Amino acid sequence: MTGTTFRRTRGAVALGAAIILTLGACGGGDDGESSGGDGPIVVGISLPLTGDFSEPGKGVQQGYEAWAKIVNDSGGLLGRQVELKILDDQSNADRVVADYEQLIGSDKVDLVFGPFSTRLVVPSARVAEEYGMLFVEPAGAANEVFQQGFKNLFYAAPAVANDHYNYLAEHILALPADQRPKTAAYAAMDDPFAQGTAYGLKAKLEAGGVRTVANEVYPPNTTDFSSIAAKIADSRADVVVGGSQYQDGVNLIVALQQLNYQPKLAAFSTAPTNPEFASAIGNKTEGILSPTGYSQDAPYPSNKEFVEKYTAQFGSPPEEDQANAYTTGQVVAAAVTAVGCAEQGECQQKLVDWVRANKVDTVVGPLTWDETGKPKGAHMIQQWSGGEIKIVLPADAKEAEFLYPKPAW
Amino acid sequence: MPSGALLFQSVILGLLLGGLYALLAAGLTLYFGIMRVVMIAHSAFLILAAYLAWFTHERLGIDPLLSMVVTVPLFFAAGVLMQRGLLSRLRPMTLTMMSVLLTFAIAVLIEGLLGYAFTGTQRRIQLGYGSASIGLFGARIAVVKLIAFGLAAVALLALYLLMKKTKFGWALRATIQQPDAARLVGIDTEKIAGYGFGLGLATAAIGGTALSLDTTIYPSLHWHWIGPLMAIIVVGGLGSVPGAAAAALLLGLMQSLLQIPMGTTWAQTIFYLALFATLAFRPQGFFGGRLAQRF
Amino acid sequence: MPSASDTVTAPGAAPAPPGPAAGRPRLGRVLTIAAVVALAAAVLAFPGLAPNPYILSAGIVVLNYAVLSTSWNFVGGFTGYISLGHGALAGLGGYGTGLLVTKAGLPSLAALVLAMLLVALIAVPIGFAALRVRGASFVIVSIALVLIMLLVFQSWASVTGGSRGLVVPRPFPDLLRPEHHRVFYYLYAGLLALALGVWWLIDRSRFGLGLKAIREDEDKAEALGTPTFAYKLVVFVVSAAFTALSGGLYALWFGDLDPVFQFSILTGSYMVLMALLGGVRNLFGPLVGALVVGTALEFFKGSFGNTPLHLVATGVLLGLVVMFMPDGVLPALRNLFARFDRTRQSSIREVSAAELRDQRLQSTGGKA
Repeated sequence: MTGTTFRRTRGAVALGAAIILTLGACGGGDDGESSGGDGPIVVGISLPLTGDFSEPGKGVQQGYEAWAKIVNDSGGLLGRQVELKILDDQSNADRVVADYEQLIGSDKVDLVFGPFSTRLVVPSARVAEEYGMLFVEPAGAANEVFQQGFKNLFYAAPAVANDHYNYLAEHILALPADQRPKTAAYAAMDDPFAQGTAYGLKAKLEAGGVRTVANEVYPPNTTDFSSIAAKIADSRADVVVGGSQYQDGVNLIVALQQLNYQPKLAAFSTAPTNPEFASAIGNKTEGILSPTGYSQDAPYPSNKEFVEKYTAQFGSPPEEDQANAYTTGQVVAAAVTAVGCAEQGECQQKLVDWVRANKVDTVVGPLTWDETGKPKGAHMIQQWSGGEIKIVLPADAKEAEFLYPKPAW
Repeated sequence: MPSGALLFQSVILGLLLGGLYALLAAGLTLYFGIMRVVMIAHSAFLILAAYLAWFTHERLGIDPLLSMVVTVPLFFAAGVLMQRGLLSRLRPMTLTMMSVLLTFAIAVLIEGLLGYAFTGTQRRIQLGYGSASIGLFGARIAVVKLIAFGLAAVALLALYLLMKKTKFGWALRATIQQPDAARLVGIDTEKIAGYGFGLGLATAAIGGTALSLDTTIYPSLHWHWIGPLMAIIVVGGLGSVPGAAAAALLLGLMQSLLQIPMGTTWAQTIFYLALFATLAFRPQGFFGGRLAQRF
Repeated sequence: MPSASDTVTAPGAAPAPPGPAAGRPRLGRVLTIAAVVALAAAVLAFPGLAPNPYILSAGIVVLNYAVLSTSWNFVGGFTGYISLGHGALAGLGGYGTGLLVTKAGLPSLAALVLAMLLVALIAVPIGFAALRVRGASFVIVSIALVLIMLLVFQSWASVTGGSRGLVVPRPFPDLLRPEHHRVFYYLYAGLLALALGVWWLIDRSRFGLGLKAIREDEDKAEALGTPTFAYKLVVFVVSAAFTALSGGLYALWFGDLDPVFQFSILTGSYMVLMALLGGVRNLFGPLVGALVVGTALEFFKGSFGNTPLHLVATGVLLGLVVMFMPDGVLPALRNLFARFDRTRQSSIREVSAAELRDQRLQSTGGKA
C-alpha cells in the first residue's frame, strides 16, 4: 500500500474522530432541569399532528390543552403549574419511539401521556414501560394493546375497539327475522383499531346468521377506493361496515355513493363523528352510523365543567377524541393528587399501583381497569339524520329514534 | 366468480386509470428519449400540480381545472430551466446515474416543501359533483373520473399532433432519434431538448390536475406513482411513446381486473412483475423500444 | 500494491511488497494508524460521554447509518452502480430477523445470522435481474424493489403483521433501556469494524481491482476477460448481506417494525447521500458521510422536532453533491489541499479511469 492511501485514510479518520468527540462534548450541555422541586410539572406527549392520523391527532391535542388550562386555572397539580411538551410524530412508529425516548431520557419530563392510534401506542408504551413510567393513553383501543404484557398501561376510555358496536349488534339481531339484514360487507383499514371495530361487529353478526359477502382490507396509505367500492356495491350487501379512521372513511363513502349503492345500514368508525365529516362527503350523510364513547350531554359531574370551559377555549364543544384526551389527564391527575408526587423514579410505580387499585370519575363516566389495563364498558351508537348526528343506542341514552332501513344517502 | 357487472365496471375503471397512466408515461418517455434521463421527480411534480389545484379550489374558491392556466406554463418553464440549468450541466460520462440522483433529490425536495407548506394531512377537493355519476350499460362512471380521463386523452392527442404535425415536433423527433444528424441540418438540439423537457413536465401539470379531482393527495404520494410509471415505460420499451401508452392502458386494465380476486394492494404488484419479467426476458421492451439494454 | 496494471496481468502478485511509489511510508503509516486508533477510541468512548440515553440512542441511529452506507458502498463504490433500493435489503434483514424470532422461535443471534444468509440468497436472483441491465434500468429496478417489498409486506398480513407492524421481542429482556442501548451501540460498532475490514480487504484484492475496472468501463473490462457479471453479482450479494445484518440488528434493537419504514425509499437515499458525500472511493467515506448527515438529521429532529424540512435539506444536499462534488467531500477537500502543496500532487491520486485504461491497453497490446 502506498503512502497516498494512508494519507487519504488519515484525513477521513481524523475528521470522523473529531465529529464524534464534538458530539459527545456538545451533548453534555442539555441535561434536564425540570425534575422535582417547585417548577412546573412537565408532561411529555407525542402526537400525530401531521400524516395519516393528523385529524384525530389534533383533536387529542386540544383535549390535552383543555385539560392543562382547566387544571392550571384551578391552581395546578400539587400546587405546581402543569406544562405540556408536545412533539409531532408524523403518524409513524419510528418517530413516536424517538419522541418518547427524547421526552423521558433527554428532556426528563415528569409525566407522560399516550399518543394517538393503536399503531403508535404499542411502541411508545414499551419505551414508557422500560423507563418505568405510568402510561395512560387515550387511543390504544385494540385488543392487542392489552396482550403485550404491559404493566404500566391504562386505556382512558369506556371500551376497547372490539366492543364498540355491541349495542348495534344486539339491536340488529333483536329485529324480527323478516326485517333482519341477511348480508353484510366489511372494509377495514389495516390498522388494529379500525379492524378491531369492524371485526368486533363482524364476529357478532356472523354468529347471529348475517352472511359476510365482502371483506376488504386496505393499507393506511390507500387513496383510490373505487375498486373496493365496486366490489361492495356488486355484493349488494344489506349492511356495510367500514373500519375507518378519517380520510379513508370519507373516500370510501364517496366512492360508494359514486356507484349509487344504497345499503339498509351503513356504519363507519371514527370518521362520521369528525366535525368536518358532513362537508367532506358533500352533506350526503343520511343514516350513517358511528360508535362513540362520549356524549357532550353525559350527566357525569366533571363533564359539565369540561364542555363549558372547552367551548369557551376553542369555540366549539368537544368531540370524542378531545374527551378521551381529557379523560387521560383526569386519570393521571387523580393519581398524582392521591399519591402526592409527580416525577420520574419511584414515584411512577406508586402512581401505577394507585390507578390499578382505584376507580376514577371522568367525563366518560367512572373508569376501572383489569390487570392488563383494559377498561370495562361499551360505546354508544350515533346516527346522522337531518344533518345532525345523534345518539340512537342504547335505548336509555337515546336522543333520536334508530332509523332502519336507513334513508338513501 | 365475479359477476359480469363487476367485471364491466372494473374494465371501465381500468381504462379510465390507464388513460392517466398513459399521459404521465408519455412525459417520462419524452425525457428519456431526449437525454436518456429517468426523471424520478416526474410524479413529484404531478403531486405538486395536484396540490396547486387543491389550493386554488380550497383557498380561492376557483374550479380546480382553472389552475391549469397557471400550472401548465409554469411547469413548462420549470422543465426548460431544469434541463438547461441542471441536467445539461452534469458530466456526460455519468449522466444517466447522476441524473437519476439529481431528479430524485428534486423529488425529495418537492415532497419536503409540500409537507412544510400543507402538512402531511391527506387532502381532497370537495366538489359539488364529487359523488355524481352516470350510468352506462349497468356500470356507473363517476363524473370526476370521466373529466380526468377526458383531460388525459385531450392532452395526449395534443402531444401527438404536436409531435407529428408541427415543425417543432419534427425537430424534437429528430433530436431524439439522431441528435448528431439533427445538429448537422441546423437544429438547435440544446434548445429543442429544453423545450422537450418543458413539454414533459407540462404533462405532469395536466395529469396532476386530473388526479386531484377524484383522489386524496398527500406529499409522499408520488412514490406510489413513480413505481408503476417506471414499470410502464420499461415494458413499453424505453423511449417509445406509443409503446408507453399501450403498456399504460394494458397494465391499468390488468391492475383494475386483478383487484377483484387479489385486492387493491396485491393488484399493484402486477406493475413490478411486468417490470422484472420484461428486464429478465425482453429488456428492449414489448413495444419496439430499443434503448433499455444499454441504459 | 505497486500498480493496478501489475495486478491485472499477474494475479498471483497481490499482496505485493511496498513498491517504490511509497515515498514516505513510515511516518504516514504511523500517523494513519494513530488516526484510526483515535477514531476507534472516539467511537468506543462515546457511550461514556453521552449525557443521557437519548443521545446514546441517537448515536446508535448514526452508527446504523454508517454501517448501512458502508454496506451500500460495496456496490456503489466498487462498481459504480448506484442502488436506491438498499433500503429494501435492510428491511428484509429486519423482517427476516423479526419473523425468525417470533414465528420460528429462534434465538435472536441465530435469527440475525440466518436472516443475513437468507437475504444474501434472495439477493442472487435480484442481482441477476438487476445487474443484467445497466445504468438507468438498474436504478429503476432498485427503486422498484423497495416499492414491491412495501406492497408485499403490507399485504401479506398473516405472516408479516401487515400495517399493524411486527413486534420483535427483546434479545436481552432483563436490561433496562439505557443498558440495552449501550449493548447495541457496541454491537453496531463491531459490525461497522467488520464491514470496513471486509471493504478494505476487497479494495486490496484482485477481485476489487476487477470491480473497479467495471466502474471505469464495463465493456472494456469485459473485453479484457474480467468476469464482470459474476464479479458484480458477488459484490452485490456481499453488500446485501451486510445491509441485512444492519437491518436485523436494528430490528432487535428497535423492536417495532412497520413496512412503511422498513421499506422506505428514504433509507436507500440516505445511504447514497452519505456515501456520495463522504466519497465512494474511500474506505472511510461513507462513515464520514454518515457521521455528518446522520448527526445533522438527529440534531434537526432534536431541536426542531419532526418537520418535513429535513426532507428539504436532504434533497438540497443530495442535489448539491451531485452537481458540484460527485466524488464526495473528502476528495474535494484533498484537491483543495493539493492545490496548496504542489509537491505532493504527484502522489496524491487514485488510479484514474483513463490511466487504468491505458495501462490495461498496454498490457493487452492495445486491443480492447
